[in-house]
Amino acid sequence: MSYLVLTHLNKTYDGTTAVNDFSLQVEKGEFISLLGPSGCGKTTTLRMVAGFETPDSGSIHLDGEEITSIPPNHRGMGMVFQSYALFPNMTAWNNVAFGLRVAKIPTAKINNRVNELLDLVDLSDDGHKYAREMSGGQQQRVALARALAIEPRVLLLDEPLSALDAVVRVSLRHEIRRIQSALGITTIYVTHDQEEALSISDRVVVMRQAVIEQIGTPEEIYIQPQTRFVATFVGTINQFSGIMKDKQKGLVTGINGDWELSIAQISQGKIPEGAPITVFVRPEEIHVSKIDKSADYANSLQAVLKTITLLGPVTRLNLDFYGQSIIADIKTVDRHRFILNKPVELSFSREACRIMSDDDFPHDDD
Amino acid sequence: MATIRKKKSLPGLLIGGFLFYMLLPIVATYIFSIATRWDRSILPEGLTLEWYKVAFADRWFLIVFKNSLVLSFSTVIASIVIIVPTAYWVHLRVPKARALLDLLSILPFAIPGVVLSLGLIRLYAKPPLMLARTPTMLVAAYVIFTMPFMYRPVVNSLKAVNIKVLTEAAQSLGSSWLRTMGQVILPNIMPGIISGGLLVFATIFGEFTIATFLVGARYKTFPMQLVYYTRRDGRIASAYSVISFTIAWVSSLIILWVAAWGAKRTTSGGPKKEKELKINSAGDQS
Repeated sequence: MSYLVLTHLNKTYDGTTAVNDFSLQVEKGEFISLLGPSGCGKTTTLRMVAGFETPDSGSIHLDGEEITSIPPNHRGMGMVFQSYALFPNMTAWNNVAFGLRVAKIPTAKINNRVNELLDLVDLSDDGHKYAREMSGGQQQRVALARALAIEPRVLLLDEPLSALDAVVRVSLRHEIRRIQSALGITTIYVTHDQEEALSISDRVVVMRQAVIEQIGTPEEIYIQPQTRFVATFVGTINQFSGIMKDKQKGLVTGINGDWELSIAQISQGKIPEGAPITVFVRPEEIHVSKIDKSADYANSLQAVLKTITLLGPVTRLNLDFYGQSIIADIKTVDRHRFILNKPVELSFSREACRIMSDDDFPHDDD
Repeated sequence: MATIRKKKSLPGLLIGGFLFYMLLPIVATYIFSIATRWDRSILPEGLTLEWYKVAFADRWFLIVFKNSLVLSFSTVIASIVIIVPTAYWVHLRVPKARALLDLLSILPFAIPGVVLSLGLIRLYAKPPLMLARTPTMLVAAYVIFTMPFMYRPVVNSLKAVNIKVLTEAAQSLGSSWLRTMGQVILPNIMPGIISGGLLVFATIFGEFTIATFLVGARYKTFPMQLVYYTRRDGRIASAYSVISFTIAWVSSLIILWVAAWGAKRTTSGGPKKEKELKINSAGDQS
């Protein structure tokens, strides 16, 4: 049996379903992210694990013991909140010591442990400060130390980085992962930021409208999205609406027959010929070149370059393809090779094409 | 030029007039309390501390002073014990009831003291609770009467700190309800409790109507003694008023000081995007 087992959890507020039939098994030491847009039920799920909400039905088991109705102060879960929630009347040091004092741990031990934890989050010199004297990033690191101090059975983080600025957000998320790995602590992390979820987790649970869309490793979620929602929510993706023309050869054509794409056999699944389908292609999988320069790709389309947006190491091209907009990412160093409003050639492999039937949405692959 | 000068002096004139209107009776009371005689001349005929001496020498002075202090302190403690946990619980667990509590808390303003006391006497003159005409009943009535003064500052403090998240944070660290309340919630809403307590204290210390109706001479209070002297010698009554004012003013000063201290303490915490804000404001200027 897994370490943390959530079984068929349901939660409804005033007739609105917040979480619908949520089941998940988490191994000891695993880092799981719950990812989804706001209102998808990810925070409610986390709060049920923490004990702040009681599920209408379903059960939660931790290390073989049922904890569904145990009050939060007896669950031993460390929680980190989006708003930090440091006790304003206490210094950073006393915040970290709070849980240890509640547990009636001897003072000498508390002193050692608090110093150790402040050191772990790189704040050993700031123990005397109050929340109001610290930056958001520092406050959240104190909150993390406070949650870790009680040696929680599971660490729960509810959008811990959403209130921080971009630079701190990235550095702190690496720090969270580093500490989590070092301590081997089972962690559930709620976020609406897909980059955060992909970069930090062992597995990601993508949720939408109270239900789980897909559970998988970051790679599975990004490379093999199982539903249309996962494909479009995680990362940027181009969509071509067409019809399955020839299953044997793996050919898909546009609805008006103005384009034809060659797809890999394995991604065809059970879709019959003539069925309306969507082909998904990631922007970074599109090779952009001047006309007649490409060769080795199964698919090539002609489009007109409309805008060029510098994103850093990558530059995003927005192209017009039969009135539809296509996004392709190129290396920023190559950006001068392209001229606005000129035709270019877009080429990509068969394997870059992921297809989903428009009929049986969400599409189940086998 | 002249009209401009006139316009400029208008606010000053208004403020001056307002201050004169507000302060004149108070200043007059102070002077009256140290005047030998001030009913035949424009200025007092002489100055003396005689009336304070009389006031302090009165054998009732200490009794009524003590009675009013006991009433005020009892009311403050009772209203803290009743109102603070209620406001906390409602804000945390029954947010829908907030509107009802807000409405209830202003109700005492709408009921005149006389009506309140007569109603209470009728209700509590019969068994099972024969509380009419006891100081206990007076304190009970005072808790209701001063509810807005305690409830408002406490609620404002509860709103200023995110009590829901703080409570949950404490709970996740294993803290019981009692410990959460005592070590996390109370210290953070203390400015509200103190300022509410002082407002209640000052109000009760000077309260006359309800006390007279509910207990009357059985439990003489400071304002009752003051009223007694207004019928005998206005100068001694003035001395009493000055003592009462002084207590009220000291309370107000403490309230202001506590409020400033509280504001300094609570303008912290919440998530801030400092760097982003800086970038945004720099962008605005360009």
